[in-house]
Amino acid sequence: MSGPDVATFFSPGDFLAILPEMVIAGMACVILMVDLVVPRTKRWVVPALSVLSVAAAAWFSWNLAGSGVSAFSGMFVLDGYAAFFKLIFYIVAVFAVFVSIRYIKTEEIDLGEYYVLMLFSLSGMMIMASGSDLLTIYLGLELASLPVYALVGFLQKSRKSNEAAMKYVILGAFSSAILLYGISLIYGLTGTTQLAAISAALETGAVSGPLFTLAVIMLVAGFGFKVAGFPFHMWAPDAYEGAPTPITAFMAAGPKAAAFAVIMRVFLEGLFPAYDNWQMAIAAVAVGSMVVGNITAIMQTSIKRMLAFSSVGHAGYALLGLVAGSEEGIASVMFYLLVYAFMNLGIFGIIIMMRRDSQSGDQISHYAGLAKSNRLTALAMLVFLFSLAGIPPTAGFVAKFYVFMALIHKGMIGLAVVAALMSAVAAYYYIRIVMLMYMREPEKEFLLASSRGILCVLIIALAAVVALGVYPLTYKPRPARRSAVGQERNEMERWYP
Amino acid sequence: MSGHLLSSIVFLPVLGALVILFIKDARAIRWVALVTLAVDFALAIPLMRGFDVSTHGMQFVERHEWIPSWNITYYLGVDGISVLFVFLTAFLGIICVLASWKAIEKKVKEFMIALLIMQAAMLGVFSALDMFLFYLFWEAMLIPMYLIIGVWGGPNRVYSAIKFFLYTLAGSILMLVGMIALYFAAGKTFDMLVLMEHKYTFTFQIWVFMAFFVAFAVKVPMFPFHTWLPDAHVEAPTAGSIILAGVLLKMGTYGFLRFCLTMFPDASRFFSTPIVVISIVAIIYGAFLALAQKDLKKLIAYSSISHMGFITMGIFLFNKNGIEGAILQMFNHGITTSALFLCIGLIYERTHTRHIGDYGWAASRVPVYATFLFIFTLASLGFPGTNGFIGEILIAFGAYEVYKPYLILLLIGIVGGAAYMLYMYKSMAFGADSHGHGGHGHGGSHDDSHGHKVWDVDFREAIALIALVVFVFWVGFHPEDFLGYMHESVGNLINQANTSKFEGLGL
Amino acid sequence: MVPVTWYIALSAVLFMIGAAGVLTRRNVIVILMSIELMLNSVNINFMAFSYLLGDMTGQIFTIFTITVAAAEVAVALGILIALVRSNKTFNVDEIDALKG
Repeated sequence: MSGPDVATFFSPGDFLAILPEMVIAGMACVILMVDLVVPRTKRWVVPALSVLSVAAAAWFSWNLAGSGVSAFSGMFVLDGYAAFFKLIFYIVAVFAVFVSIRYIKTEEIDLGEYYVLMLFSLSGMMIMASGSDLLTIYLGLELASLPVYALVGFLQKSRKSNEAAMKYVILGAFSSAILLYGISLIYGLTGTTQLAAISAALETGAVSGPLFTLAVIMLVAGFGFKVAGFPFHMWAPDAYEGAPTPITAFMAAGPKAAAFAVIMRVFLEGLFPAYDNWQMAIAAVAVGSMVVGNITAIMQTSIKRMLAFSSVGHAGYALLGLVAGSEEGIASVMFYLLVYAFMNLGIFGIIIMMRRDSQSGDQISHYAGLAKSNRLTALAMLVFLFSLAGIPPTAGFVAKFYVFMALIHKGMIGLAVVAALMSAVAAYYYIRIVMLMYMREPEKEFLLASSRGILCVLIIALAAVVALGVYPLTYKPRPARRSAVGQERNEMERWYP
Repeated sequence: MSGHLLSSIVFLPVLGALVILFIKDARAIRWVALVTLAVDFALAIPLMRGFDVSTHGMQFVERHEWIPSWNITYYLGVDGISVLFVFLTAFLGIICVLASWKAIEKKVKEFMIALLIMQAAMLGVFSALDMFLFYLFWEAMLIPMYLIIGVWGGPNRVYSAIKFFLYTLAGSILMLVGMIALYFAAGKTFDMLVLMEHKYTFTFQIWVFMAFFVAFAVKVPMFPFHTWLPDAHVEAPTAGSIILAGVLLKMGTYGFLRFCLTMFPDASRFFSTPIVVISIVAIIYGAFLALAQKDLKKLIAYSSISHMGFITMGIFLFNKNGIEGAILQMFNHGITTSALFLCIGLIYERTHTRHIGDYGWAASRVPVYATFLFIFTLASLGFPGTNGFIGEILIAFGAYEVYKPYLILLLIGIVGGAAYMLYMYKSMAFGADSHGHGGHGHGGSHDDSHGHKVWDVDFREAIALIALVVFVFWVGFHPEDFLGYMHESVGNLINQANTSKFEGLGL
Repeated sequence: MVPVTWYIALSAVLFMIGAAGVLTRRNVIVILMSIELMLNSVNINFMAFSYLLGDMTGQIFTIFTITVAAAEVAVALGILIALVRSNKTFNVDEIDALKG
C-alpha cells in the first residue's frame, strides 16, 4: 500500500488546525501547576484562567471556522459542522465553570483539578466533533469521558457520588468495548477507519451480510450508551443524581452533544450508504428513549433523576433527526442540542442555587412555593421548564418543530405522531414543577446561593431560550444533495438567524 | 399607525404587561391594565369602522419576512369572520379587568401580566394568517391560562389547571403534525390563504382533518372531549371564566371555519353528519346536565357545552344560514356567557358561595343585580329581542334546509335551555329564603343567610354589565350590524367548502 | 498458517466471555478484568484484520486501545478506592445508595 509519507503527518498546517484543542489541553496543564502556587485567598484565579483559555480557544476556532481544512491525512476536519458543535461545547464549558465557583466552595471540593478535568474533557469533546476517522473519534470519546468519570466522583466523602462514578465508569468502559468491537469489525470489512473511505467502500455494495449488521448494531449500542438512549440509559439517572450538580449539568449538555456530533458523523458520513441497515435500529432506540424516558420521569421524586430521565427523552427526540437522515434532520439535531444546552444549564443553575447550607434542593418537593419569595428565579425556572416541555414561544418548541419538519418531510409521520404524543406526556412532569412553585405554599424560607456567575448564566440562558424561540437559527437547504455532513465544508455560512 | 393597526392591537397588551412589570402599587397596576385594554378596544373601533364589508378578502394585512428558510412570515390580517372576534376579544378584555378589580387581591401584578399576555395571544390567534404564527399564539395561550386557573382559582384549582393544560396540549400537538404535513403537501408554505387554495387528496384530507379536528374539538369542547371544561370553569377566577367561555371556546369553532371547512372541504363533508349528530347530543346532554347542577358555575359551564353544540352544528350544516347563525352565536355566546359568569362572580364576591340553594333573595335584596341577571338569562335561553334568539333562529333555519327532523331535536335543546336557565333564575331571585327574612328593606346592604354583607351592583360593576347589555340588545334588535360584516366572507367560505378539491370522487 | 477466521472466532469468544463476566460477576475487580478481556478481544480483531489487509491502521489502533484501556482502568481503580473507603465492599449488590 502507498500510505501517506511521514512529512504529511507533521505539516505545520495540521497543528494550526488543532490549535484550539492544543490551547485547551495545554492550558489545562498550566492551570494544574498554577493551582499549586495560588494562595488560598486568590482562588478565583483558577476559574478565571479556565474561562480565559476557553475564550482563547473560541477565538482560534472562530478564525478557523469553515476553513474546511482537513488535517492529519484526513483524520481531523474543520468543517462548519465541527465549528457549530465546538460553539456548543464552549458555551457549556464556560457556563459550567460559572455555576461551579460557589458550589464547589459549599461542598468543600474547591480544588484546581476540578477545572482541569473539565478542560481536558472539553478538549476531548472538541476532538470528537472534528474527528473524521474512527480512531480520532474513539480517542476523543475517551478523552472526553475519562475526566467526567473522575468528576462524577469528585465528592469523595459522598457515598452517592463515589457510587455514581463507579457505575458510570464500569458501564462507560463496557460500552466503549462494545463500540470498539464494532469499529474493529467495520475496519475488517471495509479495510479502513476513515469515514469517507468507509462510505466509499460501502457504496460499492461489496460489504453486507450478518457481520456488517452485527457491526452496525454494536455501533448503535456503543453510541447509544454515550447519548443515554434506551435501552442503554441505565447509567444516566445514577450518574446524574450522584454527581456534583454542576457536573450533572455539564454532562447532560456537553459530552452528550459531543456524542451526537460523533453519532451523526459516523452514521451519516461513514455509514450513509447503509442507511437502510441502521435506520430501523436508531428509530427503535429513539422511540424507546422517548417513551421510557418520559414515562419514567413522571415517577421520580428527585429533580436530578427526573431531569436525567427527561434527558433520555430528549435524546430520543434528537435521534429522530438522525433517523430522518436528511440535511434538515442534521440541522434539526444541531439546533436541538444548542437549545438543550441553554435550557439545561439554566435549569441546573437554579438547582445549584438551591444548594445552600443544609438546604439541598435535590427533591422536587423542595421547590414548593418558590414563586412566593423568589419571583424572578421562579419565572426563569418556568421559562426553562416550558421550553423543555416544548411550549411556544420558547426555543424548546422550535427545536421540536424542527425535528418534526425533518421527519414529516421524509414521510415519517408515524414517528412524528409518537414524538408529539410523548411531548404531551413530558409536559405533565414539567408543569408539575411549575405547579409546585406557583401554587403551593412554601414549607420554609428559601435561601438561595446566588452568585454573579450563576446570575450571568441564568440571564444569558434565558435570553437565548426566548430569542431562539422567536428568531430561530435555521438552515437553508440546498437544492440537490446526496448525503450528509462531510462533503460540504462551509456549512457555517448557511446558518443564519 | 394605520398600516400597523392589527399589530398594534395584538401587541399593545404585551406593552402594558411590560409597564406593569415595573409598577409596585396594586391600584396603579389595575389602572394600567384597564387603560391598556381600553386603548386596545379603542383601536379595535377603527378596525371595525374601516373594514370594507363588500369583499371577502383579507384586510389590514401586514406581512414581513420572519424565518425565510422555512418560508414563515409574520402575516396578519382579518376577514369578515375574524374581525368580529378581534372586536369581541378586545371588548371582553376590559370586562375581565373590571371583573377582577376586587376579586383578585393577592399577586395582582402577576395576574394582570398573565391576563394581558393572554389577551395578546388570543388577539393573535384571530388575526394570524400564517399557520406557524397561528400555532405560536395558540400554544402560547396555554401558559397564562394555566397560571390564571392554577394560581388564582378555587380550592381544587391545581387539578383543574393540569387537566386543562394536558387536554388542550394533547389535542393541539397533533395539529402541529398535521400542520407540517400540510406545509409539505402544499409546497412548503404556511400561508393560510395558499393552503386553502391548494388541492389535497382525499385520504390526506381525512387524516389531516382528524388531526385538526381533535385540537379544535377539545377547545370547543365537543361532546366526548368536554370533561375539562366544567372543572376549569368551576375553579377559575371570574376573569378566567370569562376568557374561557368568551374567547377560548370560540377558538375551536373558529378553527373549524378557518381550517377544516376551507382546507379539507371533502373531509369536512364526509364527517359532517356524524359531527352534526354529536353536536345534537352535546346540545341535549349539556342541557340535561345543566339542569342537574347545584353549583352555579357548573350550570353555566354545562350550558356552554350545550350552546357550543348549536354552533358546531351550524358550522357543519354547510349553508349560509347555518354558518352565519353559528358565527353570530359564537359572538353572542361570548357576550352572554361572559355576562353570566360575571354575574356569578359578583354575587360570589359578596356571599362566597356558588350553591344555587343559598340564594333565592336576589330579586328583593339586590334588585338591580336581579334585573341584569334576568336580561342575561333571557339572552342565554334565546328570548326574542335578545341576541341569542337571532343566532338560534338562523341555525334552526339552516338545519331546516338540510334535514327537517333536526328541528325537533333542536327544539328539545332549546326547551331544555329555557328550563335550566329559568330554573336558575327562579331559584336565585325568587326561591324560598331558608331563613325567611327576605323581602324587606330597599337599597342599602343586607346580610345573607350566612351573615355576609350583601350590597347591590356598584358603579364599576354597573359599567361592565351595562356594556354587556348594550350588546345583548344591539344584536337582538339590529343583527344586520354584525351579520353585515360576515356576508361576503361566509359566502366565500361556503363556496370553498362546497367545491370539491378532489376531482373524481363526488362526495 | 492459521486462517484469519480462527482469530476472529477467538476474539468473538473472548468478547462473549468478557461481556458475560461484566453482566454476571458481582465483584468490581472481576468486572474490570472482564472489561479488559473485551478490550483485548478487540485488539486481536484489529491485529488479525491488519494482518489480513496488509494495512497498518489496525496495529496503530491497537496501540491506542491498549493505552486508553490502561488509563481507563487507572481511573476506575481510583474511583474504586474512594468507594471502598466509604463503602467497605467490593460487591456491586451492596453498592445501592442510588436507586430509582
